[in-house]
Amino acid sequence: MAICYDKQREPSRLPSKTDAELDWISNLPGHVIDQILSRLPIRDAVRSSVLSRKWRYKWATIPCIVFDNQCFNVSSQDQTFIKDKLVNIIDHVLLLHNGPIHKFKLSHRDLLGVSDIDRWILCISRSSIKEFVLEIWKGQRYKPPSCLFSCQNLIHLELFNCLLKPPLTFKGFKNLRSLDLQHVTVTQDVFEKLISSCPSLERLTLMNFTGVTHLIIDAPNLQFFDIGGIFDDVSFLNTFHLALVSIGLYVNIDNDENNARDNSSKLLRFFVHLPHIRRLEIQSYFLKYLAMGYVPSRLPNPCVDLNHLSIRIDFDDLEENTAALCLLRSCPNLQELEMLARPEEQTCIERSTNFWEDDHWSSLFAHLRMVKVSGISGVKSEMDFIKFLLSNSPVLEQLTVKPASQEGEWELMKELLRFRRASIYAEVIYLDS
Amino acid sequence: MSEVDMAVIKPERLQICSQMMNSYICLQTADGSIQQVEQEVAMFCPMICHEVIQKGMGSSKNCAISLPQRVNPAMLSLILDYCRFHQVPGHSNKERKSFDEKFIRMDTKRLCELTSAADSLQLKPLVDLTSRALARIIEGKSPEEIREIFHLPDDLTEEEKLEPLKNTTDDPRIRLLNRLYAKKRKELKERQKLKNDEVEEERADDRSVDDLLSFINGDNGDSKGNKTSKSKKKNRKRKDQQKSTSTNETIKNHNKELNGLNSVRCSAEVGQKSWATSNLLDVEDDIFASKNELDDGDIDDEIDPALKEKIDRNGHVILEFHFKAWCLIFFNCLVIENP
Repeated sequence: MAICYDKQREPSRLPSKTDAELDWISNLPGHVIDQILSRLPIRDAVRSSVLSRKWRYKWATIPCIVFDNQCFNVSSQDQTFIKDKLVNIIDHVLLLHNGPIHKFKLSHRDLLGVSDIDRWILCISRSSIKEFVLEIWKGQRYKPPSCLFSCQNLIHLELFNCLLKPPLTFKGFKNLRSLDLQHVTVTQDVFEKLISSCPSLERLTLMNFTGVTHLIIDAPNLQFFDIGGIFDDVSFLNTFHLALVSIGLYVNIDNDENNARDNSSKLLRFFVHLPHIRRLEIQSYFLKYLAMGYVPSRLPNPCVDLNHLSIRIDFDDLEENTAALCLLRSCPNLQELEMLARPEEQTCIERSTNFWEDDHWSSLFAHLRMVKVSGISGVKSEMDFIKFLLSNSPVLEQLTVKPASQEGEWELMKELLRFRRASIYAEVIYLDS
Repeated sequence: MSEVDMAVIKPERLQICSQMMNSYICLQTADGSIQQVEQEVAMFCPMICHEVIQKGMGSSKNCAISLPQRVNPAMLSLILDYCRFHQVPGHSNKERKSFDEKFIRMDTKRLCELTSAADSLQLKPLVDLTSRALARIIEGKSPEEIREIFHLPDDLTEEEKLEPLKNTTDDPRIRLLNRLYAKKRKELKERQKLKNDEVEEERADDRSVDDLLSFINGDNGDSKGNKTSKSKKKNRKRKDQQKSTSTNETIKNHNKELNGLNSVRCSAEVGQKSWATSNLLDVEDDIFASKNELDDGDIDDEIDPALKEKIDRNGHVILEFHFKAWCLIFFNCLVIENP
């Protein structure tokens, strides 16, 4: 059945048979339109209400509402004006929205932690929210109201610049799988309780937190753990599925005074509950922490699944080198290694000049394919390490070297050229600083 | 083929047939045509998979799986192309992505049909892909453009369009502020037109009354519009002196009138101005009075007193600010022109 229609449209004519037939999009099922509108910025999604009669309320059922910096274009210097306008818009959208909200994100750079947010969180907590992201860019820590802690459908919670103080009746988020807290203030008890009462927790990100000094991670389903901050202690309980760990200790700890107090091995304790670890990143001063106490020559149970290791190390520090060596000996299946040299603040008294020269082992790196060494400056300890690496990795494919600065580049390269290579496929790539 | 028929077929053929039947699935679209599709390709669609496994359909032409109405043959072939590529596990993510990019390059009508068909077959990755493509098309366009692309009827009445679903200017505060802004802008425009006169007028203030008179009488034509107006502020101050009938006041009253009404550019001579004076007083009072009434009337109708107070304060702030700004500009100009 052939349909002929006039290609030239006059503006605003009444719907005719041909129009209705051409209008394919309005008759798509509701959940598909929700998907399409959810992918638009909130402004465009709401504006779709003026398209036609059918579209008037289609936007009101979108399950995903995001208010971020693109939500309106106002270039005004008046902060209160922007704030009022933003508050107005969010009030209107939430009031006119009709249906469950599964994802809500509020992250506008001019939004302070105002009490309007309490009202919005209350509204959202009534509609089975699954993903909640709140980022307060300016001002002091915002304290979410207690209704946030009653959202039992939460799967992902992300807070930036907040103060966490759940009510006493808080029993945890039973369905929470991903928790991302950055620049938060939370007390030790609250933190422990939070982690241990979320049995489904799989991903935990914690950055720049205050109030917690002993990190006790009791999460049986945890798979991904990423923290960076200042803490005294970290210990895992029942984390047998933990596969990706990235830890950064942002403060330089003094080894001597700690050694006097506690001689137990931090390294051993750390790895006891990480039998299946696959990817480990030791950042900032965390290696120093691990080097405290007794450091064995290798771990009792090797990390057989570990195939990517990244360590920030001071090559002149004997204890750190010992800890690194212990680690390297304990991961027989290591495939990728990254060593980042920490820029020295002061000259180290204990200069271990021959640490990497000694022949500590044979065929240590049976599977090592990719190595990256950065931030070096050509000191003996660093060059020794690279030399020994090259001569002990038979299947090495790529070694990337990136210096910290351009000083002494030529000497570094000349030395690099001389090192023997155990692997005939090894490429040594030198990157400019 | 029924099972009875199969019994009389020669063994080799039977083998081939059964092989074919094992690895091909028959799909029937709404128009009745049947297609045979490789099994692993067709099973990529959850709906077909369900039919095959749960109900055992699709193994032959008799029991072909009838697809939902939204899947026409053209769409089916597109969907099968998609499945054929993606069900192969060996492709890298990059390859899949570039395939997807090329795949969705089609006109919007087909894109909508494809979305609908993919949804009815519960092929979620394809629905995601097409939804994203449609969202990209809609994003950032004006309503007219969107209506044009998707052939949407423009059937909302004008009132419905104006009825705000999300209208920030609904706030009475903001409306009032907008009105104040508009008023102020108008005043400032007037002031800008008369700004040059003010500069000269300042200079002229030092002269005696006689000089002024002769000056006015002398340059009738061009300077009338230029010179004989003063800023509103000065007029206000002199409001209490209006009752006297000195020529000085007359001139100033005349200036006031010009300023206030703006459109009145009478070339009346000084003598005639005395006539205008008494009227002016009334008129001017009316002007100011009516303006106030306008404000008060509007405010009382819509807003409660507490809010009104707040608005008044805000309004004053804005007036003050604009006034200060213009004073600044004004004095700066003075500085420039009077070295």
